[in-house]
Amino acid sequence: MAVRPPRPADGAASDSRLDSGWLDAADGPRKRKRPHLPIDHARSLLLLGLLGAAVVVLWLRLLAGTPHLPLSWHLTADGGITLAASSDPELQPVIGHRLQALVLADGQRIDASAALLPRSPRWIVDDAERQQQQALRSRIGEAVQQPQVMLQFDRGWQLALAPRPRSLVGLGALCWAVCALALALYLAGAVVVLAQPGLPAVLYGVLALSQCLNLLLIGAESLPGMGLPAALVQGDLALRLLADATAGAALVQVLLWYPQRLAGARWRTTLAWGLTVVALVWLLAMRPAGLWWWAQGLGIAYGLTAAALLRQRRDQPVNPLARLLQRLVLAGVGTLVLLNLAIAAAGRNGTVQYQVATIGSVIWVVFFASLLMLGPFLSRSKQVLREFMLLAGVATVVTSLDLLFLAILSLHPLVSLALAVGLSLAVYALARPWIQGQLAGSGALSAERMFDSLYRAARELEQSPGQAGRQLSALLCEVFDPLEAAPTGRPVSRVRVATDGATMVVPIPRLPGTEPGAIVLRYARRGRRLFTQQDRALCEQLLEQLRRAVAYDRAVEHGRTEERTRIAQDLHDDIGARLLTLMYKAPNAEIEEYIRHTLQDLKTLTRGLAASNHRLSHAAAEWKADITQRLNAAGCDLHWSFSADRDLTLTVVQWSALTRVLRELVNNILTHAQATQVEIVLQFDRHHLTLNVSDDGSGRAPETWSHGLGLGGVRKRVKLLGGQVRWVERESRGIRCEVQAALPSDTV
Amino acid sequence: MAVKVLILEDNPVARSFLCRVVRESFSDTIAITEAGDLETARAQISIAGGASGMHGVDPFKLIMVDLELPDGNGMELLAELTQYPATKIVTTLYSDDDHLFPALQCGADGYLLKEDRFEVLVEELQKIVRGQPPLSPAIARRLLTHFRHGGRLSGDRPAPDSGFNSSQDFATTSAPVPIGKVPDHERLTPRESEVLTYLSKGFTIKEIASLMGIKWFTVNDHIKSIYKKLNVSSRAEAAVLATKQGLV
Repeated sequence: MAVRPPRPADGAASDSRLDSGWLDAADGPRKRKRPHLPIDHARSLLLLGLLGAAVVVLWLRLLAGTPHLPLSWHLTADGGITLAASSDPELQPVIGHRLQALVLADGQRIDASAALLPRSPRWIVDDAERQQQQALRSRIGEAVQQPQVMLQFDRGWQLALAPRPRSLVGLGALCWAVCALALALYLAGAVVVLAQPGLPAVLYGVLALSQCLNLLLIGAESLPGMGLPAALVQGDLALRLLADATAGAALVQVLLWYPQRLAGARWRTTLAWGLTVVALVWLLAMRPAGLWWWAQGLGIAYGLTAAALLRQRRDQPVNPLARLLQRLVLAGVGTLVLLNLAIAAAGRNGTVQYQVATIGSVIWVVFFASLLMLGPFLSRSKQVLREFMLLAGVATVVTSLDLLFLAILSLHPLVSLALAVGLSLAVYALARPWIQGQLAGSGALSAERMFDSLYRAARELEQSPGQAGRQLSALLCEVFDPLEAAPTGRPVSRVRVATDGATMVVPIPRLPGTEPGAIVLRYARRGRRLFTQQDRALCEQLLEQLRRAVAYDRAVEHGRTEERTRIAQDLHDDIGARLLTLMYKAPNAEIEEYIRHTLQDLKTLTRGLAASNHRLSHAAAEWKADITQRLNAAGCDLHWSFSADRDLTLTVVQWSALTRVLRELVNNILTHAQATQVEIVLQFDRHHLTLNVSDDGSGRAPETWSHGLGLGGVRKRVKLLGGQVRWVERESRGIRCEVQAALPSDTV
Repeated sequence: MAVKVLILEDNPVARSFLCRVVRESFSDTIAITEAGDLETARAQISIAGGASGMHGVDPFKLIMVDLELPDGNGMELLAELTQYPATKIVTTLYSDDDHLFPALQCGADGYLLKEDRFEVLVEELQKIVRGQPPLSPAIARRLLTHFRHGGRLSGDRPAPDSGFNSSQDFATTSAPVPIGKVPDHERLTPRESEVLTYLSKGFTIKEIASLMGIKWFTVNDHIKSIYKKLNVSSRAEAAVLATKQGLV
């Protein structure tokens, strides 16, 4: 059974597994590579690279050392060939003349025909034609080993030509380019094998090597002039078939094991390779009729099998990688089918089929190679590489279509080309979002919304840094819309994309009060997209903006606090000192008490300004101590009771309102009631505050009281709290004042 | 012989008011020296035997220091007078712990709030001299935090919530003792912690006595001891700091 990625919903037990697994995956390549890269991996890569380069150079030298006739031919409509160009000055007069035959030094005569043209037997549809071509070119290969070859042209022209080796310069640009591509593909394979050792990497290496072989053969095929080693001509078909079959089988196997192992991977692998070997042996040994058809059918079968495997994978938790791979495979298969169609359709027209087969096959292999090169680096690749892959694909389509039109509709070449280009552009426009949609940046979230989210996240982060993980996670979910977003306690230093773009690990910004850690996102855009390097960059930027916004908020808050403290200090120092002097100089006790009261109010005000918050429990303790002292000084007992179902942080407004209400009520009792007992009950229950202040004084009929500064102030403060206040007579004697208010606030 | 008192206060009206308070508080003959700034106060102290007060000259018995002065902060003087054998009292308008706590660390034996009524001030002053210093809930909280951290965080500003955890605030009666070797003078006894915890919740000394089942003056002794420990611990801290900075 395939391994399903654990989900956060599985509970705490799987959480740790999930965290470490993802993080290991995230850290994996880096961690493993970093310490070893300078010693092991770099050296191995260098060695492998040198080996590959050596093979390519040897190959090129072999080709350069082969004798050839520096002639390039042009195929005429009736199947003959005319001399198109030659580097030999002696041959200049016969350019444009039709070749009749080649006469070798031993008197053998080879009649000129289209089969003389360089062309891979792998891509010749007709069996007889293939055999004839192979035989003919083998003979040419032997002929160029002889000192002289006689060329017989029409109108009696006859020229003797000595075959000479091609120099490295004479290999032609196409050969060099294709060999360079082969080397690059080889290096990509080497990097993958070294970076993530394992079965999939090895299979990828096999895939890459098979396509390298194909590319090298194409390089040989594309050489200018006549003459290739006979062994190469004979072996070309077998080698290419081997390369294609190996590639197909390896592709099927790699998709059985990667991204996740499928059920029955082992026996299916065996089956795939077994069938491949049987098919290869049958094709090469039996040479069945319609070999090309069989070979192409085999290739398409491989492609469809691969797509089917990826389809099967999609039933498992949505894996964007599998989706993307499936699309790439389908694109490849579609292109191959189109190409085959073009070649088959051109079968009756020799000229066209020649062109289709040569150009089409080259472009197809280049396209396949570029697809392969892109494969392991999907989440890390640069835009350029992706575009190159797409363009190679589109070029294949253009060529196929162009030649298909030429063959079927017998259009004018220009018309056909224009039509093909137009259609291909349409295909490109359709295919690009289809494939790139898996990799494109976060297009769904508009800049405005992103801005909004970022702003909100920064605010929330500033207010409660302890919740940073949750808030960041919410922001990232909005931006990337992943299937899963799980926090982890393991700190990471920077944003990382892991497990081939399925996972991104984002560190939680460090703020005072935040726990170090990271957030692991899996499967962007509900599993329809991979995380790319652009996403990583975007995420880094998001974090940076968040950091800046929070720093800015903090600076503002700091400045605000400083300013408030300064105002409080000034008020307190200047006004307080003056009031104190006034109080000392007060002419009578009443005014003195009034000024003292004012001074205390001022102190409450300034303290409220300077301190940003007060715990209810702390405030209650201070109220009690303060009131006790004042009542005791007046010879009055206090019965205090305070209960709270939870502690809460009072805002400055709440704190100062309650402080003043209490002071005013106690003051009132002291001034008017001549009480001996005061009872204060303060209760906080479910966000509801009740304050009862009772005395046993002489006060009666509170409804008749005039509400001057004192009681008016109490009413005002209670109203500010959004509560109610009332005074009632106690049964025995005295007054009870009841204050009720709801205090919706953050509980501590 | 008259008891010598130094009153350091820049506001002349307040100064004369404090003079009245002092005269009212004690039955002894009082000789009051008034100073309006730190410089004058220092000069007066050096006349009366210098900062250590150990030259056989008759030193001040009581020193009242205002915090905000024209040429500096009263705490500077308190810090200089840690060895001075007088009762040192901070008189201030600031009743919050942010201002008072550092003064207590500098060796003040108590504090008076200048806006209190005359009778209240007289009573408080008498209490301080008798060895019953005041301790407001806010300062008690600060003290608990201070000793909980082994006296080492006292230099920092307190956390916004006074570093007090609400669960501890409500539930525990004894402060957790830090693990590791903390010198005795930096550590409170369980009893002292208990007293402080009650004080921080606004209980009066009488209530604490009945809650803990001890005499009120025993509670008072605990408070005095806490005062002393705070002073000693901050002095030890200063010494350690000075050694570290190569000053000693």
